[in-house]
Amino acid sequence: MREVYRKEEQEQRLQLEQIVTDLTLPINKTYPSFKIWVGFLLLLIAVGVAMYVQQLIYGLSVTDMRDIASWGLYISDFVFLIAVSLVGSLITAILKLSNVKWTTPLTRIAEVIAVAAVVGALTIIVVDMGRPDRLWHIFVYGRIQSPIVWDIIVVNTYLVISLLLLYLPMIPDIALLRQRMNNKPKWQQKTYQILSMGWQGTDEQFKILERSINVLIVLIVPVALAIHTVTSWLFATTLRPGWDSTIFGPYFVSGAFMVGAAAVILLMFIVRIRYNYAKYITDYHFDMMAKLLVLTSLVYLYFNINEYLVPAYKMKTLDGEHINGLFFGHFSSMFWFVQIAGMVIPIFLMIFKPFRKPKAVLVISIFVIIGAFLKRFLIVTPTMLHPFLPVQNYPESYHHYTPTIPESLIVVGSFAGVALVITLFLKVFPIIPIWETAHEKGISNGIIKNSCK
Amino acid sequence: MQMRASINILIILVCIVFSSEIVAQTSPWLVSESDAAKINSFPVTPKNVAVGKNIFAQSCVSCHGSKADGNGLMKSTSLISAVFQKQTDGAIFYKLSIGKGQMPSFKSLKEEDRWALVNYLRVLVNPTMVPAAVDVKLDITTSESPNSVTAFVTASDSTKTPIADIDVHFYVKRDFGMMRIGHASNPTSADGKVTVVVPDDIIGNSEGNLTIVTKIENNFLYNDVESSVTKQWGKQLATYDEQFNQRELWGAQDKAPIWLLLLANAIILGVWSAIFYVIFSLAKLKKAGKIFTK
Repeated sequence: MREVYRKEEQEQRLQLEQIVTDLTLPINKTYPSFKIWVGFLLLLIAVGVAMYVQQLIYGLSVTDMRDIASWGLYISDFVFLIAVSLVGSLITAILKLSNVKWTTPLTRIAEVIAVAAVVGALTIIVVDMGRPDRLWHIFVYGRIQSPIVWDIIVVNTYLVISLLLLYLPMIPDIALLRQRMNNKPKWQQKTYQILSMGWQGTDEQFKILERSINVLIVLIVPVALAIHTVTSWLFATTLRPGWDSTIFGPYFVSGAFMVGAAAVILLMFIVRIRYNYAKYITDYHFDMMAKLLVLTSLVYLYFNINEYLVPAYKMKTLDGEHINGLFFGHFSSMFWFVQIAGMVIPIFLMIFKPFRKPKAVLVISIFVIIGAFLKRFLIVTPTMLHPFLPVQNYPESYHHYTPTIPESLIVVGSFAGVALVITLFLKVFPIIPIWETAHEKGISNGIIKNSCK
Repeated sequence: MQMRASINILIILVCIVFSSEIVAQTSPWLVSESDAAKINSFPVTPKNVAVGKNIFAQSCVSCHGSKADGNGLMKSTSLISAVFQKQTDGAIFYKLSIGKGQMPSFKSLKEEDRWALVNYLRVLVNPTMVPAAVDVKLDITTSESPNSVTAFVTASDSTKTPIADIDVHFYVKRDFGMMRIGHASNPTSADGKVTVVVPDDIIGNSEGNLTIVTKIENNFLYNDVESSVTKQWGKQLATYDEQFNQRELWGAQDKAPIWLLLLANAIILGVWSAIFYVIFSLAKLKKAGKIFTK
């Protein structure tokens, strides 16, 4: 009897070793392609920073934003990144609260995307300011009646909760790294030492951790809904055609879940291919994520139908102009690309099983992400170009908006920044939760506990 | 590289735009001989030069600049250059009447005013054509029904001789400037007085007070002088403090509605106390680990 028990324990221990070796692979092994990738991202960021310095010197005139279209690519980027960040709450909170089990290897992917995207959004909103040196004014002179102040509050709150929700479930893993990563530079060992919070895996510690995570999971759902609802209110609380809508909150939130799911699929795929994680991120996960993407896209499609067809049925003067511009006018090709290639075709294809295979889902997700970015541009710009009050004596160029090279490069730089945050995270922390994976494979807590002491 | 290319394109575009402007400026503006030969029958007198100066201040200064050197809000012809001044009076009269390109037509002005403007442009480069300006005294008297202001202009020396035919401007002071009342020019009569009726529908301050200002300005013969009087002749300024000083959504920072303050702060407090609870739990977590190692 004791023999059998010992043998089983031995097997579990080996299994755990295998998991730890696999999941710490990105931390231990630096591929040459990794360095090239980081260098490439740093280059894009450097170009973006150089363009931003130019913008600081010459002002926002280096962009194509003028009196009429005073919001453009930056605000589109901001809304897009906020949307992407919402997936953290979807995967780690909403699905977990619904007792969905298969998301375990995806929670950290979703959460790190959320944190990186919020950081990117906060950066780009400062870039959009003509006088960033007056940023502090919003904290000193801001009016609580203004949706912009609500947005500042809720975005920062969401960032804090997302960081905690990324960090807390990682504590047992960090404790494990603290024991194993003795070959790493001093600062890295010290970081693990501090961040592991003296984790020993006692029952009391588990209880405290679990309770804290539960608080966060419940807390992040309303805050996540609030962050994107408030972002939509930045538009919807105005009277302008195309924004003056009562369904903007849920419309934005559903769109955010859609693009967020696509972003998770993209990162899942990269991680799976790069580190041979096929046995952790399986075809089943892609299948389920694709189904989730279909679900979120269907909800978004429903809101799109409401958002466009109801005004299109009534064709109130200015709304009609706006709708005509989107359906048949200047923005029509982009609009139909977004609606068809970025939403309808993905939904249709992913209904069929072959299109829920990893590679197919990847391609579809990339289309969804591109469509989602252009969609944000279509929400911001055409409305800006239709001012309510007739304007006179404006130069012809004020009536159009085409992003300039500097502002496009700054936006590219912001994406590179988001990617860099994720990349560096991958290098320091396990992207797939070690402890939870081991736990799900049936390895007993005692063995895991011993391995991180 | 793309950046440099775009800058190059920008430079080329700027050059094209500017060169086309230069072409527009340098193409000769031909005036027929008969127009150029037209005789200015209005002699240079202080009075009509003053009229010209007023018109210049009103209609020309924005483009041609206060010194008439062409450096106004936009680049334009210098009116004090030798090239400009060597034209005949008739040619200048024709050009400002007809206009060309950016230069608007001023046919709407009376003919004598246009000639006065020509005279003024001549005086600009040759100030000795008119005598030096002297000081005068400007007094105001008021009378009611109808409410009117009378300006009384006398010589500033002890003789106190009334001065006739001097243009006085009347204004009502507003928050951010002066509103002109009376006619475009209000010359004094032989007794040195000119009267202007104050309209009775002007809104004053909360007591209905109006400050009426009289000025002698832009005059060649006399230096600028002004005096003012305050009368309760206006309508009372209606204020809507009861609406605007309330706590409303459109109010200032310290005028936020109570319900909004309560709601917003309750949400912030609720969410952040949960966050602080979690951070506090982290400290407890650490403590729990320490007990174990002992």
